[in-house]
Amino acid sequence: MTRQSRRVIVFLLFITWTIPRLGWAEDPPGRLTFGTQEIGLTAGYLLPHRLTNRHTTKQSGPALMPSWAIVLTDPIGQSWYAGQILLGAEVVYIQFQRPELTHGVGFTPKIKYLFEGFHSVRPYVEFAGGPFYTDLAGRIPEESARFNFILTAGGGVSWFVTPRLALNAGYRFHHISNAGTRFPNLGLNSSLPFGGFSFYF
Amino acid sequence: MITTLSFYRLVLGCCASVLLMTAGCSRWIELMLEPESTQAPLTQTIARQEQVPLVLEGVQITRNGAPQNPSVEIEQRMLSILREIGLFARSSSAENAEPSNGKIIRARLLVDEALDPHPGAAAWKGIVIGASMFLLAPVLSLEYDYAAHLTLDLERWDGQVKRYETQSAGTAYYQLFGATPLLIDELKGHVTEYCLTALMRQVVHDTPFYTASSAPLSDNPIRSVSVKGRRPESSTVPISTSTTK
Repeated sequence: MTRQSRRVIVFLLFITWTIPRLGWAEDPPGRLTFGTQEIGLTAGYLLPHRLTNRHTTKQSGPALMPSWAIVLTDPIGQSWYAGQILLGAEVVYIQFQRPELTHGVGFTPKIKYLFEGFHSVRPYVEFAGGPFYTDLAGRIPEESARFNFILTAGGGVSWFVTPRLALNAGYRFHHISNAGTRFPNLGLNSSLPFGGFSFYF
Repeated sequence: MITTLSFYRLVLGCCASVLLMTAGCSRWIELMLEPESTQAPLTQTIARQEQVPLVLEGVQITRNGAPQNPSVEIEQRMLSILREIGLFARSSSAENAEPSNGKIIRARLLVDEALDPHPGAAAWKGIVIGASMFLLAPVLSLEYDYAAHLTLDLERWDGQVKRYETQSAGTAYYQLFGATPLLIDELKGHVTEYCLTALMRQVVHDTPFYTASSAPLSDNPIRSVSVKGRRPESSTVPISTSTTK
């Protein structure tokens, strides 16, 4: 581990320890009301899945996803599945570092179900989909069109370090294809472990 | 010519976007009100020396059947409207009340709220709105229902209790981008105001009952003491025990 990595880890630990002590202690963390808006930033690293023998590309690279969402319900349900529905959208940017340095950008409306969870820890599942443009297509055998669609499904955990700020970590499955508008259209499938934060207001 | 056409398209596009965003932020509230005849002004008179103080002993709130923490806001609002009608010499909460062995009215308010954010409809409409890339946001409206049932118990110094009840409901309709906590506050505000006004109408109607001369102050005053059974709707209550050896 390099000296810089150690500094980053120490800094993150410091932030995690300090922020909850800055205030807002009187409010229960993680309690969101109807109409609360969320803006967030998520980053992760794309890892390839070759689901068939015809898939040969090992696409990988960092992904960045700024997002917005709004809480559409008060807590619903009475059991372990109690939670809230959020609707929003996010911009997906992926820098494919392999097989070639290329880029992709998309806009995906998303729906998210945030479980009540336990105190400041709230798990969630989310689903998103929308148009995605990438110049990787045409350079790989799986995709021929630059205009594609991206579908995302996954889940994660939000840790509300304050009532307004949550740190997120989770996993997403990504599928990129052009919906049969051009051939070949095998599609690209990837795993995306991610981390990020959300701010609620 | 091409430049002019592009400019017009740009202006048209901007107008469409502004219209879309504006329509997507709209919201309105519908209240279920009683006929106007029951809301007509009601005036009674009371002599100043006949007025007695009122103490608001407690406000209980239940939401969808579950007990909630007391709300200072609704207590203040209740006291405020009691002061407004001018029936009582003073209106104060139990904490601020001056000790008195004289004639006094004790009040207890129960607020039973019912909230329904229509989560199923919100989820489905959310999916449709998202799938349309938010183009249907101005067309599909979402709903949030709020209903309140208020019960006010007023206990006279001689132990006689009068109960007043009222209820009202309202629905907030909103487009996706118009969803804000203020919308719910406005809805609750309107419904609560209506209920409190209706309660006060009933109280004012009974003005003679609360005059100082309506009943003598007994040497052996009576207080009604009661405890209501509050059972959850489900007969099963989760209980966890830990055993230590």
